Amino acid sequence: MILALLLLLNTPPQGDELARQTQEIASRLRCPVCQGLSVADSPSEMAVNMKTEIRDLLARGYTREQIERHFVRSYGEFVLLAPKFEGVTALVWILPIVALLAGALIVRTKLRSLTAAPKTRNDDPDLARVRELVKGTTS
Amino acid sequence: MNRYALSIGGLVSVALLIVLMAGLGRDPKRIDSPLIGKPAPQFTLKRVGGRESVELAAFRGRPVVLNFWATWCAPCWEEHPILNESSRALGDRVQFLGVVFQDDEAKILGFLQQRGAAYPTVIDDRGKTAIAFGVGGVPETFILDASGTIVAKHDGPISAEQLQSYLAEVLPR
Repeated sequence: MILALLLLLNTPPQGDELARQTQEIASRLRCPVCQGLSVADSPSEMAVNMKTEIRDLLARGYTREQIERHFVRSYGEFVLLAPKFEGVTALVWILPIVALLAGALIVRTKLRSLTAAPKTRNDDPDLARVRELVKGTTS
Repeated sequence: MNRYALSIGGLVSVALLIVLMAGLGRDPKRIDSPLIGKPAPQFTLKRVGGRESVELAAFRGRPVVLNFWATWCAPCWEEHPILNESSRALGDRVQFLGVVFQDDEAKILGFLQQRGAAYPTVIDDRGKTAIAFGVGGVPETFILDASGTIVAKHDGPISAEQLQSYLAEVLPR
Protein backbone atom coordinates (compact mmCIF):
# COMPACT_ATOMS: atom_id res chain seq x y z
CA MET A 1 0.00 0.00 0.00
CA ILE A 2 2.78 2.42 1.03
CA LEU A 3 4.85 1.36 -1.99
CA ALA A 4 1.90 1.98 -4.29
CA LEU A 5 1.42 5.42 -2.72
CA LEU A 6 5.12 6.25 -3.20
CA LEU A 7 4.96 5.13 -6.81
CA LEU A 8 1.88 7.28 -7.32
CA LEU A 9 3.65 10.27 -5.77
CA ASN A 10 6.72 9.74 -7.98
CA THR A 11 4.73 9.43 -11.19
CA PRO A 12 6.08 12.00 -13.65
CA PRO A 13 3.53 14.63 -14.69
CA GLN A 14 1.81 14.35 -18.08
CA GLY A 15 -0.34 16.49 -20.35
CA ASP A 16 -1.62 19.73 -18.87
CA GLU A 17 0.10 19.10 -15.53
CA LEU A 18 3.45 18.66 -17.33
CA ALA A 19 2.89 21.94 -19.21
CA ARG A 20 1.89 23.73 -15.97
CA GLN A 21 4.95 22.51 -14.06
CA THR A 22 7.24 23.32 -17.02
CA GLN A 23 5.86 26.87 -17.10
CA GLU A 24 6.23 27.23 -13.32
CA ILE A 25 9.89 26.15 -13.31
CA ALA A 26 10.63 28.22 -16.44
CA SER A 27 9.22 31.30 -14.70
CA ARG A 28 11.75 30.85 -11.87
CA LEU A 29 14.76 30.67 -14.22
CA ARG A 30 16.51 33.59 -15.91
CA CYS A 31 16.93 33.49 -19.69
CA PRO A 32 20.74 33.78 -20.05
CA VAL A 33 20.59 35.65 -23.39
CA CYS A 34 17.90 38.17 -22.40
CA GLN A 35 17.73 41.33 -20.33
CA GLY A 36 15.93 40.36 -17.13
CA LEU A 37 13.40 38.01 -18.73
CA SER A 38 12.48 34.61 -17.37
CA VAL A 39 12.78 31.48 -19.50
CA ALA A 40 8.96 31.34 -19.50
CA ASP A 41 8.60 34.89 -20.85
CA SER A 42 11.38 34.87 -23.43
CA PRO A 43 10.71 33.95 -27.06
CA SER A 44 14.45 33.37 -27.73
CA GLU A 45 15.64 30.04 -29.08
CA MET A 46 17.84 29.54 -26.01
CA ALA A 47 14.79 29.92 -23.73
CA VAL A 48 12.79 27.55 -25.94
CA ASN A 49 15.62 24.98 -25.65
CA MET A 50 15.70 25.44 -21.88
CA LYS A 51 11.92 24.93 -21.66
CA THR A 52 12.25 21.74 -23.71
CA GLU A 53 14.95 20.55 -21.32
CA ILE A 54 12.76 21.34 -18.29
CA ARG A 55 9.86 19.40 -19.86
CA ASP A 56 12.14 16.43 -20.66
CA LEU A 57 13.52 16.31 -17.13
CA LEU A 58 10.03 16.59 -15.57
CA ALA A 59 8.77 13.80 -17.82
CA ARG A 60 11.68 11.65 -16.62
CA GLY A 61 10.62 12.17 -13.01
CA TYR A 62 13.01 14.90 -11.86
CA THR A 63 11.74 17.25 -9.15
CA ARG A 64 11.69 21.05 -9.34
CA GLU A 65 14.69 21.27 -6.96
CA GLN A 66 16.70 18.78 -9.03
CA ILE A 67 15.95 20.68 -12.25
CA GLU A 68 16.93 24.01 -10.68
CA ARG A 69 20.16 22.44 -9.40
CA HIS A 70 20.82 21.10 -12.92
CA PHE A 71 20.71 24.63 -14.38
CA VAL A 72 22.63 26.16 -11.44
CA ARG A 73 25.42 23.62 -12.05
CA SER A 74 25.90 25.05 -15.57
CA TYR A 75 25.02 28.72 -15.15
CA GLY A 76 25.55 29.38 -11.44
CA GLU A 77 23.10 31.03 -9.02
CA PHE A 78 22.66 33.78 -11.64
CA VAL A 79 20.15 31.58 -13.46
CA LEU A 80 17.73 31.73 -10.51
CA LEU A 81 15.48 34.80 -10.72
CA ALA A 82 14.91 34.74 -6.95
CA PRO A 83 18.18 34.19 -5.09
CA LYS A 84 18.17 31.35 -2.56
CA PHE A 85 17.96 32.20 1.14
CA GLU A 86 21.40 30.84 2.02
CA GLY A 87 24.98 32.04 2.42
CA VAL A 88 25.83 35.53 1.17
CA THR A 89 22.68 35.67 -1.01
CA ALA A 90 20.60 35.59 2.22
CA LEU A 91 21.77 39.21 2.67
CA VAL A 92 19.71 40.17 -0.39
CA TRP A 93 16.61 39.20 1.59
CA ILE A 94 17.75 40.33 5.04
CA LEU A 95 19.33 43.74 4.30
CA PRO A 96 16.16 45.49 2.97
CA ILE A 97 14.23 44.37 6.09
CA VAL A 98 17.06 45.54 8.38
CA ALA A 99 17.22 48.87 6.50
CA LEU A 100 13.43 49.27 6.81
CA LEU A 101 13.47 48.56 10.54
CA ALA A 102 16.43 50.91 11.07
CA GLY A 103 14.61 53.64 9.13
CA ALA A 104 11.44 53.13 11.18
CA LEU A 105 13.49 53.36 14.40
CA ILE A 106 15.14 56.61 13.30
CA VAL A 107 11.76 58.14 12.35
CA ARG A 108 10.22 57.05 15.68
CA THR A 109 13.14 58.49 17.71
CA LYS A 110 12.99 61.74 15.78
CA LEU A 111 9.20 62.07 16.22
CA ARG A 112 9.49 61.43 19.96
CA SER A 113 12.14 64.10 20.38
CA LEU A 114 9.97 66.59 18.47
CA THR A 115 6.78 65.95 20.45
CA ALA A 116 8.42 65.68 23.92
CA ALA A 117 8.19 68.67 26.29
CA PRO A 118 11.27 70.90 26.10
CA LYS A 119 13.82 70.01 28.74
CA THR A 120 14.48 72.63 31.40
CA ARG A 121 17.65 73.08 33.31
CA ASN A 122 17.37 73.12 37.10
CA ASP A 123 20.49 75.21 37.58
CA ASP A 124 19.17 78.16 35.54
CA PRO A 125 19.23 81.13 38.04
CA ASP A 126 16.49 83.05 36.20
CA LEU A 127 14.20 80.05 36.20
CA ALA A 128 14.91 79.41 39.91
CA ARG A 129 13.96 83.03 40.64
CA VAL A 130 10.70 82.67 38.69
CA ARG A 131 9.89 79.49 40.58
CA GLU A 132 10.55 81.22 43.87
CA LEU A 133 8.28 84.11 42.91
CA VAL A 134 5.51 81.80 41.78
CA LYS A 135 5.83 79.81 44.97
CA GLY A 136 5.66 83.02 46.99
CA THR A 137 2.46 84.21 45.37
CA THR A 138 0.67 80.87 45.65
CA SER A 139 1.55 80.11 49.33
CA MET B 1 21.44 63.99 14.31
CA ASN B 2 24.10 62.85 16.77
CA ARG B 3 27.67 61.87 16.02
CA TYR B 4 26.93 58.16 16.43
CA ALA B 5 24.28 58.18 13.71
CA LEU B 6 26.50 60.28 11.45
CA SER B 7 29.44 57.90 11.76
CA ILE B 8 27.21 54.85 11.05
CA GLY B 9 25.78 56.62 7.98
CA GLY B 10 29.28 57.55 6.85
CA LEU B 11 30.52 53.97 7.21
CA VAL B 12 27.56 52.57 5.26
CA SER B 13 28.08 55.16 2.49
CA VAL B 14 31.81 54.36 2.21
CA ALA B 15 31.05 50.59 2.09
CA LEU B 16 28.45 51.15 -0.66
CA LEU B 17 30.87 53.35 -2.60
CA ILE B 18 33.58 50.66 -2.45
CA VAL B 19 31.13 48.00 -3.70
CA LEU B 20 29.95 50.28 -6.55
CA MET B 21 33.53 51.24 -7.53
CA ALA B 22 34.51 47.55 -7.61
CA GLY B 23 31.52 46.86 -9.87
CA LEU B 24 32.48 49.64 -12.31
CA GLY B 25 35.60 47.76 -13.36
CA ARG B 26 33.67 44.61 -14.23
CA ASP B 27 32.06 43.66 -17.50
CA PRO B 28 28.31 43.48 -16.67
CA LYS B 29 27.86 40.77 -19.33
CA ARG B 30 30.58 38.57 -17.87
CA ILE B 31 29.32 35.70 -15.77
CA ASP B 32 31.91 33.53 -14.11
CA SER B 33 31.35 29.91 -15.03
CA PRO B 34 30.74 27.55 -12.11
CA LEU B 35 32.18 24.79 -14.34
CA ILE B 36 35.78 25.99 -14.10
CA GLY B 37 37.86 23.36 -12.32
CA LYS B 38 35.21 20.70 -12.98
CA PRO B 39 35.12 17.88 -15.54
CA ALA B 40 33.59 19.05 -18.82
CA PRO B 41 30.05 17.77 -19.49
CA GLN B 42 30.30 14.86 -21.91
CA PHE B 43 28.58 14.85 -25.27
CA THR B 44 28.38 12.99 -28.55
CA LEU B 45 27.20 15.16 -31.45
CA LYS B 46 26.85 14.77 -35.19
CA ARG B 47 29.69 16.15 -37.27
CA VAL B 48 28.71 18.90 -39.70
CA GLY B 49 28.84 17.62 -43.27
CA GLY B 50 29.12 13.98 -42.28
CA ARG B 51 27.14 11.13 -40.78
CA GLU B 52 29.60 10.22 -38.07
CA SER B 53 29.38 11.45 -34.48
CA VAL B 54 32.14 13.10 -32.51
CA GLU B 55 32.54 12.24 -28.84
CA LEU B 56 34.31 14.69 -26.53
CA ALA B 57 35.73 11.82 -24.45
CA ALA B 58 37.67 10.62 -27.52
CA PHE B 59 40.01 13.61 -27.12
CA ARG B 60 41.02 12.72 -23.57
CA GLY B 61 44.81 12.90 -23.22
CA ARG B 62 45.32 16.27 -24.93
CA PRO B 63 44.03 19.79 -24.29
CA VAL B 64 40.83 20.79 -26.09
CA VAL B 65 39.71 24.19 -27.33
CA LEU B 66 35.92 23.97 -27.44
CA ASN B 67 34.39 26.84 -29.35
CA PHE B 68 30.62 27.53 -29.36
CA TRP B 69 29.62 29.59 -32.37
CA ALA B 70 27.00 30.20 -35.05
CA THR B 71 27.07 31.51 -38.63
CA TRP B 72 24.70 34.41 -37.76
CA CYS B 73 27.15 35.71 -35.14
CA ALA B 74 29.45 38.42 -36.55
CA PRO B 75 32.11 38.20 -33.78
CA CYS B 76 32.37 34.47 -34.61
CA TRP B 77 33.53 35.38 -38.13
CA GLU B 78 36.19 37.57 -36.55
CA GLU B 79 37.71 34.79 -34.46
CA HIS B 80 37.29 31.97 -36.99
CA PRO B 81 40.61 32.62 -38.85
CA ILE B 82 42.45 32.83 -35.49
CA LEU B 83 41.09 29.46 -34.38
CA ASN B 84 41.80 27.91 -37.79
CA GLU B 85 45.36 29.21 -37.89
CA SER B 86 46.07 28.15 -34.27
CA SER B 87 44.70 24.68 -34.92
CA ARG B 88 46.96 24.27 -37.97
CA ALA B 89 49.99 25.56 -36.06
CA LEU B 90 49.44 23.37 -32.99
CA GLY B 91 48.58 20.19 -34.90
CA ASP B 92 48.00 17.16 -32.65
CA ARG B 93 49.18 18.94 -29.51
CA VAL B 94 45.78 20.59 -29.05
CA GLN B 95 42.38 19.42 -30.29
CA PHE B 96 40.09 22.17 -31.56
CA LEU B 97 36.37 21.46 -31.77
CA GLY B 98 33.60 23.76 -32.92
CA VAL B 99 30.06 23.38 -31.57
CA VAL B 100 27.39 25.19 -33.56
CA PHE B 101 23.93 25.73 -32.13
CA GLN B 102 20.78 27.61 -33.15
CA ASP B 103 21.85 27.25 -36.76
CA ASP B 104 21.19 25.45 -40.01
CA GLU B 105 23.57 22.73 -41.24
CA ALA B 106 23.56 23.94 -44.85
CA LYS B 107 24.57 27.44 -43.74
CA ILE B 108 27.33 26.04 -41.51
CA LEU B 109 28.70 23.95 -44.37
CA GLY B 110 28.67 26.95 -46.71
CA PHE B 111 30.48 29.04 -44.08
CA LEU B 112 33.16 26.38 -43.50
CA GLN B 113 33.70 25.78 -47.21
CA GLN B 114 34.16 29.48 -47.77
CA ARG B 115 36.27 30.30 -44.70
CA GLY B 116 38.12 27.07 -44.06
CA ALA B 117 37.77 24.26 -41.55
CA ALA B 118 41.02 23.11 -39.95
CA TYR B 119 39.22 21.16 -37.22
CA PRO B 120 35.91 19.28 -36.79
CA THR B 121 32.65 21.07 -36.17
CA VAL B 122 29.59 19.43 -34.60
CA ILE B 123 25.99 20.56 -34.47
CA ASP B 124 24.09 20.89 -31.20
CA ASP B 125 20.55 20.64 -32.58
CA ARG B 126 18.49 21.13 -29.43
CA GLY B 127 21.07 23.20 -27.59
CA LYS B 128 21.47 20.57 -24.86
CA THR B 129 25.28 20.73 -24.94
CA ALA B 130 25.23 24.53 -24.90
CA ILE B 131 22.96 24.42 -21.83
CA ALA B 132 25.20 21.82 -20.13
CA PHE B 133 28.17 24.20 -20.63
CA GLY B 134 26.16 27.20 -19.40
CA VAL B 135 26.52 29.02 -22.72
CA GLY B 136 24.76 32.39 -22.65
CA GLY B 137 25.73 33.67 -26.08
CA VAL B 138 28.15 33.06 -28.91
CA PRO B 139 31.06 32.99 -29.29
CA GLU B 140 32.17 31.31 -26.08
CA THR B 141 35.35 29.26 -25.82
CA PHE B 142 36.21 26.68 -23.19
CA ILE B 143 39.75 25.45 -22.59
CA LEU B 144 39.99 21.87 -21.33
CA ASP B 145 43.17 20.30 -20.03
CA ALA B 146 44.35 16.82 -21.03
CA SER B 147 42.23 15.21 -18.29
CA GLY B 148 39.04 16.84 -19.58
CA THR B 149 38.77 19.46 -16.83
CA ILE B 150 37.57 22.95 -17.78
CA VAL B 151 40.36 25.38 -16.91
CA ALA B 152 39.05 28.55 -18.55
CA LYS B 153 36.07 30.09 -20.28
CA HIS B 154 36.31 33.01 -22.66
CA ASP B 155 33.26 35.13 -23.54
CA GLY B 156 33.25 36.91 -26.89
CA PRO B 157 35.70 36.69 -29.80
CA ILE B 158 39.09 35.35 -28.77
CA SER B 159 42.35 36.92 -29.95
CA ALA B 160 45.52 34.97 -30.81
CA GLU B 161 47.24 36.38 -27.71
CA GLN B 162 44.36 35.39 -25.42
CA LEU B 163 44.28 31.89 -26.88
CA GLN B 164 48.03 31.55 -26.46
CA SER B 165 47.79 32.68 -22.85
CA TYR B 166 45.02 30.13 -22.08
CA LEU B 167 46.91 27.33 -23.81
CA ALA B 168 50.09 28.09 -21.85
CA GLU B 169 48.16 26.83 -18.79
CA VAL B 170 47.36 23.45 -20.31
CA LEU B 171 50.28 22.64 -22.59
CA PRO B 172 53.28 20.79 -21.10
CA ARG B 173 56.24 23.15 -20.68
